[in-house]
Amino acid sequence: MSIFGSCLILSFAAVGAAIGDAMVGKQTIEGMTRQPEAKNSLLINMIIMVGLIESMPIIGAVIAILLIFANPFLK
Amino acid sequence: MEHGGGHDVGAHKIGVFLGMTFHLDTLFMTWITMALVALFVIGCTRRLALVPGVAQNIVEMVLEPIMSQIEGVMGKKGERVAPIILTIFLFVLFSNYIGLIPQMVSPTADINTTAGLALMVILLVHIFGVMDSGTKYLKHFFTPHPLFVLLHILENCTRPLTMAFRLFGNIISHEILFMIMMILAPFLAPIGVLFLGLFIGTIQAAIFTILSITYIAGAFLDENH
Repeated sequence: MSIFGSCLILSFAAVGAAIGDAMVGKQTIEGMTRQPEAKNSLLINMIIMVGLIESMPIIGAVIAILLIFANPFLK
Repeated sequence: MEHGGGHDVGAHKIGVFLGMTFHLDTLFMTWITMALVALFVIGCTRRLALVPGVAQNIVEMVLEPIMSQIEGVMGKKGERVAPIILTIFLFVLFSNYIGLIPQMVSPTADINTTAGLALMVILLVHIFGVMDSGTKYLKHFFTPHPLFVLLHILENCTRPLTMAFRLFGNIISHEILFMIMMILAPFLAPIGVLFLGLFIGTIQAAIFTILSITYIAGAFLDENH
């Protein structure tokens, strides 16, 4: 049962991460097309933003891994 | 699969001392990381010259972006904060990298290390706030309206939690990915996973540092904050 729950957690986490990163990437590339001189600054900010956005899905992944390997509800 | 001394990912060598449990492999790797950071910085700052040689160039490459971020966010008060921020960055960076070596495990792959670092940063925020502004810092939690203190309490609980879990989650998920790649395709495919580990390690160290700088800068109650 917790395996089922863990699968659901990981799937939604992956979808959330993908959608969030895609939104940031879209705006970054649009900004780079409008002003190619800002490419380096936009790229660095995008990398930082992706790291922050992916923190919530990764926290979800940690909970899912906890449910599989070190389940606190099973003795 | 031999990793971290022959354990599964997430299992630690336990030692008990005076009734307290210690993760001996994390402790040992933390000491090794501390020694590496100290040797790296001391070794690269011998013979400082105006035109830097190779070693000094590497250290300056690490220091320069962090110092410019500190100056940009905090201004002149950043000089007191810079050493601890740089130490945090170098420690997290070396911890993330050392897990990529075959028989070693990252200290940051243990929730205790990352939770300790996150709690230290939050304590630093309050210590710098009180050192800088005194009772005005304690009063600022209740402006503009006394109910804002609930928001501040929530903020102080959420920030260390997300900082600790973000760093821990990134590093432990990379370790698991590496272990699975080694089971599936043992010879050349894991090299790509190691490169991903370098990338993720650098980014997470940078994010931890930037967030620390931002939180500490929020404790200096400047008017343009």
